[in-house]
Amino acid sequence: MMDLTQKMRDKARELLEKEEVKYVIGWEKGTFWYQSPPVFISRPEDVDKLVWDQFCINNLSKYLLDFKHLEGKIALFVKGCDSRGINRLLQDQQVQRDAFIVIGVPCPGMKDPEKAKGLSEDKADQLQLAEKCATCTTPNPVIYDELLGDEVAAAQVDDVERFARVNELEQKDPDEKYDFWKRQYDKCIRCFACRNVCPACNCRECVFDQAEPEWLGKRVVSSENQFFALTRAMHVAGRCIECGECERVCPMGIPIMSLNRKIIKDINNLFGSYDAGMNLEDQPPLGKYDVNDPEEFM
Amino acid sequence: MKILNKQKLKDLLNSLAADATVYAPVKQDGVIRFQAWNGDQEIDLTDNALLPPKDLLFPQTEVMYKYTANGMRAEITEVAATAEKQVIFGMRPCDVKSLSMMDDVFLTKGYEDDYYKSKRENTVIISLGCNEPAPTCFCSSMGVDMTEAEGADVMMFDLGDKLALEAKTEIGENLLASASGLEDGSADKPAGGQCQLKVEPDGLAEKLAKMFEHPYWEELCRKCLGCGACTYLCPTCHCFDIRRKNIGEKGFQFRCWDSCMFSEYTRMAGGHNPRPSKKERVRNRFLHKLQYFPERYGKVACVGCGRCLAKCPVNMDITRIIKELGEVAINE
Amino acid sequence: MSDPVRKQLEAHPLVPVVGEIIKIVEETPDVKTFHVTTEHGKPFTPMPGQLAMLSLLPVGEAMFSITTQGEDHLEFSIKKTGMLTDALHEAEVGQKVGIRGPYGNGFPVDFCKGKNMLFIGGGIGLAPVRSMIYHCINNRDEYGKMQIIYGARSPQDLVFKEDLFENWPKVSDCEVNVTVDRGDDRWDGHVGFVPQFIEELGPKPENTVAIICGPPIMIKFTLPIMEKLGFTDEQIITTLEMRMKCGIGKCGRCNIGSCYVCLDGPVFSLAQLKNMPNEY
Ligand code: SF4
Ligand code: SF4
Ligand code: SF4
Ligand code: SF4
Ligand code: FES
Repeated sequence: MMDLTQKMRDKARELLEKEEVKYVIGWEKGTFWYQSPPVFISRPEDVDKLVWDQFCINNLSKYLLDFKHLEGKIALFVKGCDSRGINRLLQDQQVQRDAFIVIGVPCPGMKDPEKAKGLSEDKADQLQLAEKCATCTTPNPVIYDELLGDEVAAAQVDDVERFARVNELEQKDPDEKYDFWKRQYDKCIRCFACRNVCPACNCRECVFDQAEPEWLGKRVVSSENQFFALTRAMHVAGRCIECGECERVCPMGIPIMSLNRKIIKDINNLFGSYDAGMNLEDQPPLGKYDVNDPEEFM
Repeated sequence: MKILNKQKLKDLLNSLAADATVYAPVKQDGVIRFQAWNGDQEIDLTDNALLPPKDLLFPQTEVMYKYTANGMRAEITEVAATAEKQVIFGMRPCDVKSLSMMDDVFLTKGYEDDYYKSKRENTVIISLGCNEPAPTCFCSSMGVDMTEAEGADVMMFDLGDKLALEAKTEIGENLLASASGLEDGSADKPAGGQCQLKVEPDGLAEKLAKMFEHPYWEELCRKCLGCGACTYLCPTCHCFDIRRKNIGEKGFQFRCWDSCMFSEYTRMAGGHNPRPSKKERVRNRFLHKLQYFPERYGKVACVGCGRCLAKCPVNMDITRIIKELGEVAINE
Repeated sequence: MSDPVRKQLEAHPLVPVVGEIIKIVEETPDVKTFHVTTEHGKPFTPMPGQLAMLSLLPVGEAMFSITTQGEDHLEFSIKKTGMLTDALHEAEVGQKVGIRGPYGNGFPVDFCKGKNMLFIGGGIGLAPVRSMIYHCINNRDEYGKMQIIYGARSPQDLVFKEDLFENWPKVSDCEVNVTVDRGDDRWDGHVGFVPQFIEELGPKPENTVAIICGPPIMIKFTLPIMEKLGFTDEQIITTLEMRMKCGIGKCGRCNIGSCYVCLDGPVFSLAQLKNMPNEY
């Protein structure tokens, strides 16, 4: 990883010195040893802030939207999962491919920073992989202009593992399910971190922000929170790239991925297996029409 | 001083609950929050609650009044009633301190907010001193004494398998006198822990007054997601929105927390937005805490509870920012 | 302030008193003036330049400047800009409304005493200014010469036509100058933008206070001309608009730096504004 850090810095320096880009978006060390938050580098002399370690968990792809109107290019580093976010934004026509440079970094899997809290740094090796990384099938970027380092072997993850939490929830009866999700979303404080970090939540004006008409009431009560949860889940249905960022950023610890994966599982069953953001050609199943689509419900 | 064997915590809470609603930190579904004591929850006194108890005085959603309206007619039918008595058990010294800022906002400068005031006057506070601050705490730098919460009615210390309680006000004394499970006793007040994070906020407000146009904000803001996590978890953030909900002829006006980090926060009816981008919003949040609030009320609007830096998805760390602001050069 | 109203607003500052629209004047195609009173008469007696929160209970609440007041009512001149103002424009006489206030600092009447008063307004910006114009008219001997310079996009966009062409020209030592950006067949007055018009008229700064309200673009081009004419920043007074929710300095929405527009504003001198962050 040290080696890749150096490669990143060299690459960033080169791009900035040649003035090919205005910013390079990567990761730097944060307050604690288990944090590597995003950093925006605009001067060659700052490239040594960049790091690549097992806590570069933030998906940087969404930041592209902040630079839509920038004159000049952006470069950003992406892991496998993040790169699917790039495809998401391209497929949704939110960004122009020639406005940015993607530097891919094959990813050995990130550690769970929540589990690291309160531990001392010498215990780093004992940390488990983050849950999303333990079931990751795309550690290598699927879209990039340049790849740093060598590709890593993708784990064979079967659907049982991938949908373990979903399968467990499916065992519950409807009342238990309702009770589970009600309790979870009663915790929601409607901070919108989940939406704001999500590369699939890229609408120019989100329905939740519209005041006239006010689709989502501002009261933080069960009914409005559930409406929020379900609406967001359905808006990303078939488009969620499983980066897990929504669940990671939720301050209230709501298992948002269980909801997303339930929908992914159902879509796979109904329309055939589909992984969002793997390429630019395959359209999201709910975003296209196919004569073979099931229509029992009509 | 009174001593409580932790085994008897339930007895104590039950007796307090006899004539007030008691709120205590409960761990449920993975997070510690203040919940109304129902006689049968698992009280968690290890870490501070994820959400500060500010919502007990300033609820995230609060009905203000009800009305009926139909065509030309309109009538206010009910104004929210005054609050009932409540006891907050286990509130940490940083959060107790935050009430002095809430009081400044809601009770001074010409208007008293009756919704807040009525809850505040009916609240009894049992504060729990901190022996082991979390890695994100920096309360010692923000004028908080983690063994003595100014404004608490009762001060409580964790002695391992026992709790020591000491009344600080007459209300606190009466409360303890009628509570069950307590024995007279004495114990040395624990020394309190050491915060690992430290900052030096003195004099910063004056410097910030000259930094509104500083390029620092442009750099700082980029990683922010513009979510409301930091402000909603903060015990001193108090911004709110006022909205209404209609159901046929009836309706009610309510207020709910709002965040200056949201893009619609300052957007006006005609579309103009005085704080159009992340830069202005991030700048406002930090200047509000570190310059505007001190200018207006004479204190920094941060108690060092560390919640924002513990939960910000991009590690926007107010301690680091205070340090950097102290160090950056300004052209005077 | 009428006693029952004061009591209620003291006990519950965020709960409006229910009042009624007793008269509606159509000023322009998109501006109407609403006369509002309560069963206890005029709800309160505002200082010129103060604000009030007006609501249609099921639709919403917003802050408006109080354009002026009568013995038994308050007047609000409101331009159609959004959901609430649209609904207000649909309202008829007899409509119940909510009202609370008065809020804000108002114009500095004492500071202005004994001085010549120059009022400059553009479009709906004459609404807040009008309260001060009436204050000077009602206390005519306390103020010096009055001059009112007002402009709108077209003749039909001129507000308070009766005041502009009938009432105010009759006031002693009061000059009224009206311009429009574009005239029409029947318009025989001045044509041109407010800033240029001011330059042509060349009001004198000596012992004068200028109160300026209008669209940002008008203000922007007016200020350099005022400077050229010799007005200092202390002599220029304007009002600010911010989004407001509570009106009583609690909700935190209307801040410009450490100043809350709902309490410390909306009236500021240019000198004050220059000391505040440029964020409005
Ligand atoms: S819904 Fe969650 S996992 Fe899916 S793309 Fe958005 S942030 Fe990533
Ligand atoms: S991040 Fe969590 S708490 Fe915030 S809005 Fe999303 S689900 Fe709710
Ligand atoms: S500072 Fe962090 S928590 Fe606050 S709005 Fe920005 S991303 Fe969200
Ligand atoms: S700013 Fe952060 S550390 Fe300070 S009181 Fe608020 S949440 Fe706590
Ligand atoms: S409008 Fe609420 S603080 Fe000014």
